[in-house]
Amino acid sequence: MTILQEKPSEEVFTEPQYPWRKVNPSTSITNSIIVVLPISIFALSFFLTDLPGALLFIVIFLPVQILVAIFATIWGISKKRVGDAVLSVLSLVAFSFVIALMGSVLFSVFSRGLPAISLSFLTQNNTYISPTTELDYGGVGHALLGTLMVVAIGMIISVPLGIASAIYITDMKGRLAGFVRFMVQAMSGVPSIVAGLFILAAFILTDVSGFSALTGGLAYSILMLPTVARTSEEVLKLVPKELRDAAIALGSSRARVIMKIVLPTARTGILTAVILGVARVIGETAPLLLTTSNTNGTNLNPFVDAVSTIPVYIFQFLGSGYPTAINRSWGAAFVLLTTVAILFAIARIVERSTKKG
Amino acid sequence: MDSDGSDHLKESPTPRYFGREKSRTRSDKAFSGSVVVAALSSLFILVAILFYLATSSWPALRKEGLSFITGSTWIGGLDDPSQQVFQIWPMLYGSFLNALLAIIFAVPISVLLAIFIVFIAPKKIARALTIVVDVLAAIPSGIIGIWGFLVFTPVAEGWARLIHQYLGSIPIFVNNQDQFTRSPFITAWVLGIMIVPIITVVAREVLAQTPQDLLDAARGLGGSLWGTVRMVALPHARGGIVGGVMLGLGRALGETVAIYFVLNLIFERVNYYRILDPEGGSVASMIIAKFGEATPEEIQALLGAGLVLFLLTLVVNLIANWIVARSARERLV
Repeated sequence: MTILQEKPSEEVFTEPQYPWRKVNPSTSITNSIIVVLPISIFALSFFLTDLPGALLFIVIFLPVQILVAIFATIWGISKKRVGDAVLSVLSLVAFSFVIALMGSVLFSVFSRGLPAISLSFLTQNNTYISPTTELDYGGVGHALLGTLMVVAIGMIISVPLGIASAIYITDMKGRLAGFVRFMVQAMSGVPSIVAGLFILAAFILTDVSGFSALTGGLAYSILMLPTVARTSEEVLKLVPKELRDAAIALGSSRARVIMKIVLPTARTGILTAVILGVARVIGETAPLLLTTSNTNGTNLNPFVDAVSTIPVYIFQFLGSGYPTAINRSWGAAFVLLTTVAILFAIARIVERSTKKG
Repeated sequence: MDSDGSDHLKESPTPRYFGREKSRTRSDKAFSGSVVVAALSSLFILVAILFYLATSSWPALRKEGLSFITGSTWIGGLDDPSQQVFQIWPMLYGSFLNALLAIIFAVPISVLLAIFIVFIAPKKIARALTIVVDVLAAIPSGIIGIWGFLVFTPVAEGWARLIHQYLGSIPIFVNNQDQFTRSPFITAWVLGIMIVPIITVVAREVLAQTPQDLLDAARGLGGSLWGTVRMVALPHARGGIVGGVMLGLGRALGETVAIYFVLNLIFERVNYYRILDPEGGSVASMIIAKFGEATPEEIQALLGAGLVLFLLTLVVNLIANWIVARSARERLV
């Protein structure tokens, strides 16, 4: 460790703080120079030349900002803090970049999606609608119902299996607990398109079933299972062992302990696990293109015939390329994002109420 | 992982009430039996995926042999099945190129962001930023796809033009087609945006677990923030970060619909390094692109492509989990 070979620092730490958070009185002037100088040079070069901003940011702003920060550090604090200055500037750039990206995604979905939203858009289906039809007619009603069916089927299959995996790992501690956890992890890496292809090969190409909400739900359940299992495992670990011991001492059987004590105690956490599983899959397009296909009408029979879903609706209209069709896509994207947001909000509220109780 | 169970037993003052003792009722046996069966469902599903993809794509794979992976021809949709050729090398290479570029873009951003959250930012900003990263991770890939196609592509096209204008003499930035959209460069940025939260979450967790006494020791020796991060925190978190990167790699390899919209898939030749050219490949997107008008033989080939993708992501993911688990164990020691 070269850090040991450095001469002892001359600074004296009067209070137990991280040294990089120590503020020297002479830094207040330095701080303002750090902030003002690079921006003004950047602004000057932006207005006086006609070079694009992205280039100026990389070639002018970033180097100037780093140089200024280095000099300010040497002058105001210590030569040894030069690395800190560069690290701070770069990590602030990374921070702003990620904030800008997320802002851009959310802003474009809101600003372009919100104008498309109306009662008719949420309730009508896509029958007799072409990519150029005005937004006053037709909507995502059928796709919303389809997504609901597919997700519900996915839940019905994956939630019991996921919870059972978690019970096996945490409560039963069977011989294969490590193996089951390993398999769940391996499953979490299955790409969504592969889940779709598997259902296609196993059910549709073998003529067991046609395109339907059921096959879509089967594909979704493969993607949901690892999320549900892993989150439930974390939740079940939190159930106090004393509760289980007490129930056993009273003569309960294994099944009763789990069904009447462990699961009810962990019910809010398990609800969170289910919600996270739903949020994980609800925007997946690829498996549904291979398993539910698409339709313009409303199909309420989950076992027969193609069904439309929100992600596939976005895909369908985005592919056609017409401006009104693209507005429909943005509208559907807004509906999808709102649904995910609501799911996460519910999960957070549930989590908070558990902590209080 | 098996040690979890035995550790618990050692501490536990109570007997192993869920063990293999004899006094169990029939309903109890039925219950635990069904739990075991359900818990093994992930194994059944993985084996079933392997079995069904392998058997249903077998005719195409047998006909093409190894050239299914190494060849660069795709002729489908003919009436005569014997004339059809299905080879996926351009797509396979493209998947790796996209994922590699995405990681090159995403890793510095993610690691810097994680360092910022753990060591630099005030508590409130750090907490808010953690939520921002979680939100970014929760945005469905379909929405990143539509955003990448309609909002981000024009922006990144400007970046690509700039790079070409000033660095065009470097071979990887050559572009003779005067079209800068739908390139591996833009695809990699879209993928990078998807994997930044994955890597950041893992990196943040492992960085935050740097033992406080190590940080205190570095501070006591007069170490700067950069010195502490470079010599204490990053070496400590290296395994976890590498694992997070591998998880991101798995995600990038499997991404389908977003790539379908932002990349021009070229099936006949491989774009090895000209990342600004509007030519690229992706196994997952190919399956969507070809599925709509595929002949039965072509669907067999697409299932074969899915099998290759499945095995690839399985290996990547297992290595990732192994690295993360190993580094977690090292931290405990």
